[in-house]
Amino acid sequence: MVSDPVTGSGGAFTRRRFFEQLAAVGGVSLAMAGMDALGFGFASAATLPPPLPGGAKGTRIIILGAGLAGLTAAYELGKAGYEVQVLEARGVAGGRVETARKGFVDTDVMGNRQECDFDDGQYINVGPWRIPYHHQSTLHYVRKFGVQLELFNNDNDAAYVYFEKGKGPLAGKPIRKGQIAADARGYTAELMAKVASKGDLDAVLSATDRQTFIDYLVNEGRLQRSDLSYKGTDGRGFDIAPGAGINPGAGKETTPFAFADVLNSKAWSVLNSVAGWEQQRTMLEPVGGMDMIPRGFVKNIPDGVIQYKALVDRIQQNAKGVKVSYTDASGKKAEAAGDYIICTIPLSVLKNIKMDVSKPFLEAMSNVAYAPVNKIGLQMKTRFWEEKHWIYGGHIYNDIPGIGTISLPSTGWHSQKGVLLGYYSFGGEAAKISALSPDERAKFAVTQGQKIFPEYAENFEKAFSKSWHLDPHNLGGWAEWSDESRKAAYPVLCEPDGRIYLSGEHLSHLTGWQAGAIESAWQQIAKLHQRVQQA
Amino acid sequence: MAAALWVAMSPVTMAAETGQSLYNDNCAACHQRTGLGIKGAFPALIGGKMVTGPLPALIPTVLNGRGGMPAFKSDLTDAQMAMVLSYIRASWGNKASVITTVQVTQARIKASAAAKPKNLQAH
Repeated sequence: MVSDPVTGSGGAFTRRRFFEQLAAVGGVSLAMAGMDALGFGFASAATLPPPLPGGAKGTRIIILGAGLAGLTAAYELGKAGYEVQVLEARGVAGGRVETARKGFVDTDVMGNRQECDFDDGQYINVGPWRIPYHHQSTLHYVRKFGVQLELFNNDNDAAYVYFEKGKGPLAGKPIRKGQIAADARGYTAELMAKVASKGDLDAVLSATDRQTFIDYLVNEGRLQRSDLSYKGTDGRGFDIAPGAGINPGAGKETTPFAFADVLNSKAWSVLNSVAGWEQQRTMLEPVGGMDMIPRGFVKNIPDGVIQYKALVDRIQQNAKGVKVSYTDASGKKAEAAGDYIICTIPLSVLKNIKMDVSKPFLEAMSNVAYAPVNKIGLQMKTRFWEEKHWIYGGHIYNDIPGIGTISLPSTGWHSQKGVLLGYYSFGGEAAKISALSPDERAKFAVTQGQKIFPEYAENFEKAFSKSWHLDPHNLGGWAEWSDESRKAAYPVLCEPDGRIYLSGEHLSHLTGWQAGAIESAWQQIAKLHQRVQQA
Repeated sequence: MAAALWVAMSPVTMAAETGQSLYNDNCAACHQRTGLGIKGAFPALIGGKMVTGPLPALIPTVLNGRGGMPAFKSDLTDAQMAMVLSYIRASWGNKASVITTVQVTQARIKASAAAKPKNLQAH
């Protein structure tokens, strides 16, 4: 409690004192909200669950699905005094938050059954694998449940880019990203600086701006002050690394590529001024696997709340309540009754379950696509990417069909073995590769990676692949809304149909992110709670 | 890098494209080579108004996706989409008309299906 709201030292009510009081009352987030309100510019991301005061009035909620939306709803509503029952189809909670380690089994709709055989301690996150620093909703639960975090390297200039569809001498060669960046920016800055210095840009720049603009370009492009030319820079690396004594001494810098070669290679398509908002350089991952997050939820939800291997058959509602018919773990038909439903089942699957909702609601549900998504983890018997190529985490951007991205682990540095992500692809490319058997998928991934790392094939030990569109509980990696369906269908589904509330990443603008699921759940439980209070 | 270390052919290099090869590559993963789909997950493409009926429903579905199905507007050209849809409409007992490239182009314009530039990575 705030003891003295007004006086700080000397009795003056400073802004700083105001924020301190806010923080004392409402925690850091309230202080930040206050700062934001006064224009200190924090993003207005949802950072805390909604308060649910006033009790639950004996209300019973059936939650369908124990992915992150269902877990969030179950945890928060349970704490607020609601009677909660969760029906989960799988034998484990977490939904798409799956971490494949030794013993993990996956069976897809094609009948491909894989049992992960990685060495102890090795794993691959086949669902979400990185948390943007600004997904504070996800990080709220990470903090709350004591999940340990480590940095996820989302941008590594030492990592290779590989563009086989480009033209010229740089096409089809693994090249350090930093070299492409230095050269593309250096030559561009040189062009602009020379044009500006001749006065050709004076129509757009004032006389003082011209020099400032050139100063900026010299800095940005690493240009020679003397003649504004780009002659390379130490940041793009050394042919002979500098060291001790006379030899190697100062070493020898690498020579820049020709500008035409850089442009023709198409490798510049990986460059931009800043990363997209969801792809910022600073990302985080839980130590030991992303599934540490759902495990944290489960530890903090009372036993018996979540029923596993419960397959929903029918969802009914009337003016007085709701009823869910399901098949339980032993195969028996069962029913769950309650006052409201929060249904987090993906729309791709939900459309096949009979549900008592209006025709417009059903029509809205049918207008959402789900993304085919592929991932494969390849266990390698040595960490050649670190030992031989000096690449510590990060992505190998490339244009190899069916691969998307190859990514190196941000964990287990310098240990003997490691699991890298051999492909991460979407859409038609993912559909193609997923038609292969798991063994063929692994062969494909290893063959393609061999183009970039000569040690790839000889180090390959074991693989585990996941195709989310072939998972019977998901039929897709995440929801894909079109401009049309966002306008017409999305608002319909954000509101409840009678006593049924939908929730999940699909009902957010953070589709495919854990934060989308969590924040959707926060919104829906807030609505539901308000309704219960007013009833 | 020694060329000898490189394996020559990946399993997905394309020879001459046909409607069938395009179907097998892009659609069969879910709808199966037999067109029978998987019950409860992916519908069969045999008979039915959507597949063999008038065009307004079919082409936009493949372009933009619906009900779980992904959009293929960025993965297939108009010509490729015409080939694969024609193949579907003439296979497994289906006896519906061929679809032309022009029809796909018109449907794409109508659906304002301008392909958004794909992010290099999604999540």
